[in-house]
Amino acid sequence: MTIVEAAAALRRRQISSVELTLDCLARIEKWNPELNAFLTVTADTALEQARAADAELASGLDRGPLHGIPIAHKDLFCTRGIRTTGGSKTFADFVPEFDATVVARLRNAGAVMLGKTNLHEHAYGITSQNPHYGGVRNPWDPGRLPGGSSGGSAVAVATGMALGATGTDTGGSIRVPASWCGITGIKPTFGRVSKYGVLPLGYSLDHMGPMALTVRDTALLLEAMAGHDPKDPASVNRPVPRCLPPEGEISLRGVRIGLPRNFYFDRIDKEVDAAVYFMGYTAEDLGAELERVRVPDGEQLNALAHATLLVEAAAVHEPYLRKKRATYGDDVRTLLDMGRLIPAVDYVQAQRLRRRILGVYLDILKKVDALLLPATPMTAPRIGQTEVEINGMLEDTRLAATRLLRGFNLLGLPVLSLPAGFSSAGLPIGCQLVGRPWDEPLLLRIGAALEARTGFARRPPRFA
Amino acid sequence: MPSPFLPDWKSAAEAHRVELPEASLRRLEALSHTLLGLRGMLDWGEEPAEVFRVDLEEPEPRS
Repeated sequence: MTIVEAAAALRRRQISSVELTLDCLARIEKWNPELNAFLTVTADTALEQARAADAELASGLDRGPLHGIPIAHKDLFCTRGIRTTGGSKTFADFVPEFDATVVARLRNAGAVMLGKTNLHEHAYGITSQNPHYGGVRNPWDPGRLPGGSSGGSAVAVATGMALGATGTDTGGSIRVPASWCGITGIKPTFGRVSKYGVLPLGYSLDHMGPMALTVRDTALLLEAMAGHDPKDPASVNRPVPRCLPPEGEISLRGVRIGLPRNFYFDRIDKEVDAAVYFMGYTAEDLGAELERVRVPDGEQLNALAHATLLVEAAAVHEPYLRKKRATYGDDVRTLLDMGRLIPAVDYVQAQRLRRRILGVYLDILKKVDALLLPATPMTAPRIGQTEVEINGMLEDTRLAATRLLRGFNLLGLPVLSLPAGFSSAGLPIGCQLVGRPWDEPLLLRIGAALEARTGFARRPPRFA
Repeated sequence: MPSPFLPDWKSAAEAHRVELPEASLRRLEALSHTLLGLRGMLDWGEEPAEVFRVDLEEPEPRS
């Protein structure tokens, strides 16, 4: 069931928030032992919140479309009185005395919190194979990676353990798991959603965003999460526009969609290529104009993003790495050590080039309204697979998974990730729509149009 | 001959007293090559204050 459907059923009194919550808790009990999506389940609190939501609705108090909807939070978001580990041993016993702004906003919107989801340690990686709390498994094939770092959130949504979830994206951490688990997620414009109360990884790269089954559900969550927050210095004081696209078939007449000529389709799996082109032709069929565009070199953009992340993450973790070095898993500790070695001059020059490349992208986005790209060059690899073969070339799995994504964290542009079909092995394929700063409503409208026409969002995984 | 602009990553790691796997050293080497090549894209005439501008607006009080 989607959030939109559940919200309608709640208002028709066909279902209660308690029933929705019990259904999610039953799914968690059934599937979490195998899929390991949740680190903490707050069943008692959830039922208490659900009862309160039902009572409010019965008394005529309606907090909006998320009222009574059970959701989950990535265990990187601080939750008052509830352990927040960041998927780490470093913060294994951290119980915050406050809520992240996003958590507070979703609660004020009436959402019910089911618990905290598993993730890649410190959100620094894409496998979600956590050395301290066990690996998350893909609900389409439990022998495969769910993606990460927001892997638990993606699995929870894909399986109906939660109707929506929060995620974070520093180099693809919403979009990789959304793509590999067949769901939708958005990395909003940098500054659109508050970072306050979320354990940081890269100061200038971290983006908070929603994950859900459909584009319309994603839009509803984003509307509730977004908005200026004086507690976050990066938060931008702009009004939150209406994001929810209309229901049913949507015309894309007048919308110009750019397909990059270079880099983004150069080295990707043939089935991924075909699926993303199919989405492009579907958009054209709905009235959009397709245009081939040349974009700045993606390898160079990735190098700048990589250097920036290595340095910023090393700076964030410096005090903990000094005092609690033994609490870090091998892969994350190695990345943090690498970050300490990057020359300061390289970091400064990367920031200068970042600004220059953003200018080029903004010029491209004057000619087209959005760019359509693959999300990842391949479908979900097997757990433990350190290299993937793409068109005859072997690549490091982690680098391959993020090479079409991480540049947009550096640029801060909004990116919607949504299902684009399935491989011959039955695994989800994802695509991404990149837009102008603050233009999330248009991305969501294009995404909803494609989703309504293709129906890819509604195919359930094995565990659902 | 090693370039003065390309770090010797093994020595750098030793200086920081960290042990890095060969794959990580190779990644750093590849990264530094790309970053060095990108220097050609820098606009040396740009005003640095535009890049590292400190916003001196009165911050809103924290609630």
